[in-house]
This record gives sequence, structure tokens and C-alpha cells, in this order.
Amino acid sequence: MRLAGNDIVDLQLAAKESNWMRKGYLQKICSEKEQMLIEESKQPNQLVWLFWSMKEAAYKVHSRKTGQRIYAPASLETTIQTLNPGYSTGFVSVENCIYHTQSKLNGEMIHSLAAPKQSLLKEIEVIISFHQNGIYPDYACTNPHSVSHHGVYLALIYL
Amino acid sequence: MNKEELLSRLKVIVSNYTQNKEALDSINEDTDFLKDLKINSANLVDVVLDVEEEFGIEIDNLSMEKMLNVRAAIEIIETKLHEAGRE
Repeated sequence: MRLAGNDIVDLQLAAKESNWMRKGYLQKICSEKEQMLIEESKQPNQLVWLFWSMKEAAYKVHSRKTGQRIYAPASLETTIQTLNPGYSTGFVSVENCIYHTQSKLNGEMIHSLAAPKQSLLKEIEVIISFHQNGIYPDYACTNPHSVSHHGVYLALIYL
Repeated sequence: MNKEELLSRLKVIVSNYTQNKEALDSINEDTDFLKDLKINSANLVDVVLDVEEEFGIEIDNLSMEKMLNVRAAIEIIETKLHEAGRE
């Protein structure tokens, strides 16, 4: 089955909309291991949203596969294998399924792709566009495989 | 606490996270937090935390899994209040 998911986080909007330092917040979205890594990180903000976008991208694939809609971000366990400035790879495990991820990050945004097979990640065409006013163009006719938008960013992927 | 009162207190909470005023005005048990109210999924955690504070209950991650619409949220709040002996 050729399935993939993607997720984009506009870091400026995330900072405005979401206070992950709120008491109890991280416990609801992260596993204990992830919480520990965030606590030890020199860039905790980036790590929180990297975990989040990996989880969201993987969740999109998983819910398509299972046909189930649930809200359990903490039960999607992320593992980061490489983390360079600008680029990260890893995987997300949930209910005995594994989704490989690759993420692009900079000071403005984080974008993650997830797919059941690592080889599929290389075949995905990604188009990220910037829309200052938050009004996105009509993309439906291009038939994207997965859509994510947040703040000024629209991310479409094609398989 | 009856359903109407629960719903009106829940409405106040979600109004902080939705931009969709029309869906908020016509909020009912079938209203979906993500699809109808367009609450972003990172803010759904805030809704859960606000519900915990507002009603003095604790929502475990297993209950949170189902909290995607008003009906499920009301059921969870009712169950937790019942468990705490505060109906």
C-alpha cells in the first residue's frame, strides 16, 4: 500500500497559539522518553514541534490505514535517528506499526513526511508554498496525496 | 449538572480556540472539534486541560483519545464527575 502523510508547523504561529510549557501539556502529547529529551535539549522548542510534526505526519498515514480516528499523541512514540541543522530522520511507532519520517527544519518552520517504507520517502514530491495572508490557493484540482497547512505555509505532497 | 449546563460551559472553553463563529453559534452534540470548529490539533490539548480545570476532573490519555466531538466530551465529563461522586 502506497501511503504517506505530511505535516507542517509554522513556528511563529505555534509560539503564538500554543504554550507547550503550560502545566500538563507535554504529558498529554509526549511519552516519558520524549519529555526527558525535551528537558535535556538545548533547543526544547524546536524539539517539541519536531516531535509533534513527526507524530502528526505518522498519524495521518496510520488513520488512513486503520480507518480509525483517535486523539492520542502521547501513544505515538517518536525516535530521532539523525538531527542536523535543517534536516532530521527518524521513525514513529504506534500499535505495532512503524512509520519512517524525514523532516526539514529551520527557524521558521518544521515539515515532516511519514511513510510505512523508508524507500517511499524518496519518491514523494513535496511542494511547500508561502502565503503571507494565510489565504491558500485552490489546490484540490492538483489531487495531492496529503495536505497540511498552518499559518503562512501550505504543504502538499504527491505520490 | 444537566447536559445544557455542561454544553454551555464547554462552549465557553472552545470559543477560545475556534475561529469559526458560525459553527460555535450552532454548537450541538454532533459538533466535531477539528472538522466543524476547526480547532487545530495542538490546541485540542488546551481544550482538554481547560476542561480538567473547569470541572475539577482528570482526563486520562485513554479518555482523551475519544474527545474529538462535543458528544464524546460531554460523556467523558459526565463519567468523570460521576466517578468523583459530583454529578
